[in-house]
Amino acid sequence: MIFLLLFLVGAAVLALVLLSRSHRVMNVLSLAHATAYVGIVAYALARLPLPLHADGSDYLFLDHLGAYEILVASVVFFLAALYLEGYIESLIRAEELPKRNLRLFYVAMNLLLIATAFSFASDNLAVFWIFLELTTLFSAVLVVTLNAKENIDVALKYIFIASTSMLFSFIGIILLFFLSAQATGTGTLEWSALMLHAATFSPALLLVSFLFILIGFAAKSGIAPFHTWLPHTHAKAPSAVSVVLSGAVVNMGIYGILRVFAIVHQTSALTAASWFLIGFGIFSVAVASLSMLRQRNTKRIIAFSSIEHMGVILVGIGIATRTSVFWSLAYVLAHSLAKSLLFFSAGIINRQYESNEAEDVRDIFRLQPLASLGLIVGSLTIVGMPPFLLFLPKLFIIIELGKVSLLLFFLLMLFLLIAVVAFGAFMMRLFSAVPEAGKQERIPRFPVPAKMSLTLAILITLVLALGLWFPSYVQHVIDAIVTELRF
Amino acid sequence: MIDPVFALDLIKILLVLIVLSAALIITRRDFIALTSLYAAQSFLIVLLSVGLFAIDRNPLLLIIAAITLLSKVVIIPFILTKVQRRLKMKREIEFSHLSPIGAILLAVVAFFFIYALFSGILSGLDKGVLSTVVSLAICLVFMGLIIIFTRKQTITNVIGYLTMENGVLLFSLFVAELSLLIEVLILLDLIMLIVLVALMAFGIDSSIEEFHSQLNVLDRWLGREQR
Amino acid sequence: MNWLFALYFVLNTAVAVALAPLLMGVVKKVKAWAQGRRGQPLLQPYYNLAKLLRKETVVSSNASWVTRATPYLSISVLIVATLSVPLLFLPGKTSAFGNVILFFYLLALANFFMALTGLDGGSTFGGMGSSREMSLSAILEPLVLLTFLTLAFVFKTFDIFGIVGTTSQAGIFSVDPVLILLGAAFFVIIVAETARLPVDNPETHLELTMVHEAMVLEHSGKHLALMETAHAIKQLLLMALFINIFLPFGFATQPTAASVALSLLSFLAKSIILAAAIGLFESSVAKLRLYRVPGFYAVGTFLVVLTIILEVFR
Repeated sequence: MIFLLLFLVGAAVLALVLLSRSHRVMNVLSLAHATAYVGIVAYALARLPLPLHADGSDYLFLDHLGAYEILVASVVFFLAALYLEGYIESLIRAEELPKRNLRLFYVAMNLLLIATAFSFASDNLAVFWIFLELTTLFSAVLVVTLNAKENIDVALKYIFIASTSMLFSFIGIILLFFLSAQATGTGTLEWSALMLHAATFSPALLLVSFLFILIGFAAKSGIAPFHTWLPHTHAKAPSAVSVVLSGAVVNMGIYGILRVFAIVHQTSALTAASWFLIGFGIFSVAVASLSMLRQRNTKRIIAFSSIEHMGVILVGIGIATRTSVFWSLAYVLAHSLAKSLLFFSAGIINRQYESNEAEDVRDIFRLQPLASLGLIVGSLTIVGMPPFLLFLPKLFIIIELGKVSLLLFFLLMLFLLIAVVAFGAFMMRLFSAVPEAGKQERIPRFPVPAKMSLTLAILITLVLALGLWFPSYVQHVIDAIVTELRF
Repeated sequence: MIDPVFALDLIKILLVLIVLSAALIITRRDFIALTSLYAAQSFLIVLLSVGLFAIDRNPLLLIIAAITLLSKVVIIPFILTKVQRRLKMKREIEFSHLSPIGAILLAVVAFFFIYALFSGILSGLDKGVLSTVVSLAICLVFMGLIIIFTRKQTITNVIGYLTMENGVLLFSLFVAELSLLIEVLILLDLIMLIVLVALMAFGIDSSIEEFHSQLNVLDRWLGREQR
Repeated sequence: MNWLFALYFVLNTAVAVALAPLLMGVVKKVKAWAQGRRGQPLLQPYYNLAKLLRKETVVSSNASWVTRATPYLSISVLIVATLSVPLLFLPGKTSAFGNVILFFYLLALANFFMALTGLDGGSTFGGMGSSREMSLSAILEPLVLLTFLTLAFVFKTFDIFGIVGTTSQAGIFSVDPVLILLGAAFFVIIVAETARLPVDNPETHLELTMVHEAMVLEHSGKHLALMETAHAIKQLLLMALFINIFLPFGFATQPTAASVALSLLSFLAKSIILAAAIGLFESSVAKLRLYRVPGFYAVGTFLVVLTIILEVFR
């Protein structure tokens, strides 16, 4: 039922977008699409007995983890849709986005939401893989709608890195299928069945399969050394698209890794797999924090911080204790919200100065007070300052790492500190730029449309409120997930 | 009924020819030759799955052979040729990172390590020629990767990606056949990817306006041009 | 040494020398057809040799004894090499002169003297040809060695007689189908060693593309006839090696008159087909730039190493 409903809503919205002529209608449709998804999944999470299998199809199901991820993604899409109208209008006025691409843009946006939701709802690894590939394609389309040739290069780079890595994942998936065929007679790729039989798999082959799968999923979430596409793509995409990419699409790779790791977790391959995850995680944090030191571009530094945070989440999953996995999942939510706030603010700054370079920014407090507030709150959140949302997840993951190895604990702390310094220094530079004395610069103020301001206000409130009071309901859901995954 | 030993020999020969085609793809640089080599490689895979059918009698293999024939020997080369006709660039001008010689030597080294790894892992599971086949398939994947790394033109990168994909298909033919629905979905996904990337290759070659009017084929299908 | 070996010496050498120019003619004819021309008569290489033998021999005044000696040396070395490759039948299970390494270094010796004459005449073309020839041979060397060492490993012998003995009994693909890779590598060697497209262009005297032709440019009359015969014999020997290892159907397993006659016929047919294949191959490829020739060899090396990994570690 749920799946049919999700599909029908998606299909109806797509059809209406294709028929509609005005930007406003398309925008309202997308907004309705995301709202409907939030509603449906929230209802399923609250009222229906999970895990829920689709009637008549072996390929779809919904458990707590899937529902939680869909919810996070749909919220991000909802905020992006809210923000999108004013932003896109401004792009069209500046001739950065040709008007005839508008419909294509909205079609790709809604397709991306459908593919994201269904990837989290697929019970079959191969189907999940296919949806993951589709999200790459739709994201690439979103990136190339802008009037810039570099965007084609960037999108191609994204497609090639993501798709080639995903081919390695597919090898791993076939190996997993082979393993399950050995254990059960007829092979299966269903998450639930794999979880059931995992204990009988050959650990050595399972580890090889896990590593192959890891390559592709890590590339999708921008884990170093497969991250090279991410800063370019997120920086060149329109800001609302960057939000969707960082807030929703990047999570899919981590989700896949978590699922497969939960399978490996039940065998003796656990220790090796866990070290690989921690290693890749810390390496990502290191690469990202060191690259952040020399960034001069607002959106690029935010994009690099995505890599850093994916690294921390990976470390959290790799530690593989109940606590660390719990906080990794909370981290996913926190990161999506904080990153959305940052990219939305960066989008307003981009419209104000028509550039993402820090050196073009002048007098930001006077011209864009709300975006400045958004950037400050977002930065404080993203570096993990106490009253905000990201503080507790980060703290607990680091503490759990300390229990595993003190050396790695200090290493991670060092790189996180470098990231804080880099982020702080960048923001200082951004905010302290005033018009040069004597030379009178008159920059016309970009009038921020009400819906864009509303988006920022919602996010600032959410980040602060959730940081002070993390709802027990969400805690229950995450607890249920951790139990389902048998950590 | 075909003699299984003969069929196995035939399969080995086909495998060897597939690797040979990948080696030729690494060294060639004009797009037309690359596309025909890819089509030939896919055709060899079609023959291979028919050969496997002669041993296994699994009807899925025949269906896979049929859809591979349709998509990879006919449709995808057709799309690629069509795009190539519209490109100004007809061949790869320069290589990045490695010359074809270096690339081919790298492929040899890669094959050695893959073979060592997989014959170690698979030694427990006796399935005849499995470890040879698996390492040849993975070697094909790596050769595709090498092509992507050493070429700059988008079209040659696509050929590299397709070679990798053929390697994965080869791997799945021997290790485990997934269900039909999934195979079909994967092929559809592949074709979408090729179309999109081909469009982008065209976009890099021409102006951004032409690219966007190509991108909006969707609107034209619906019969309405938006201004 | 028994009478069978004596017969082998005579017959093998006679067949090699007699057939070599014919195969040259076949390749040329096929290329002409592929280009839509009628082409020269099939026996034209024989007429050419006859004509050259009647002509006066002119030697550059700068040339030393090397130029004068090389034609005789080449032809003798090649005729000795003929003994290593059984064309029609095997006189015995093994022999002292069937060593693959010896065979290839005999060819290399002839090449070396040819390169020396290129330099000896003092003309710019000759020197250019020699330097190109030597650098290309140096790059080809690993491929040749690897190919023959792999053959030796697979058949557990260095002896060409032993190898041919095994293949003519069983056929190569019953040994292992993977050896088809070696066949492809061997084809690369034939193309490179006989100075054919895409490595060298045997048709032209263009400064930019000549390698082999540049070295024999200074020869004339009888000397040229000897050099050309030597080159033709070299091509025939390599092709015969390929045929007898990779396509051994019809090779006489017993040295009886009937089977040897049959073997001669089948060898004639197979070598003409192979020569035609080489001609077609030549028509379908373009001359590679000198710096890209190693890429062509690298494909061959790749195949050989693949075979080694598959054969040695199985």
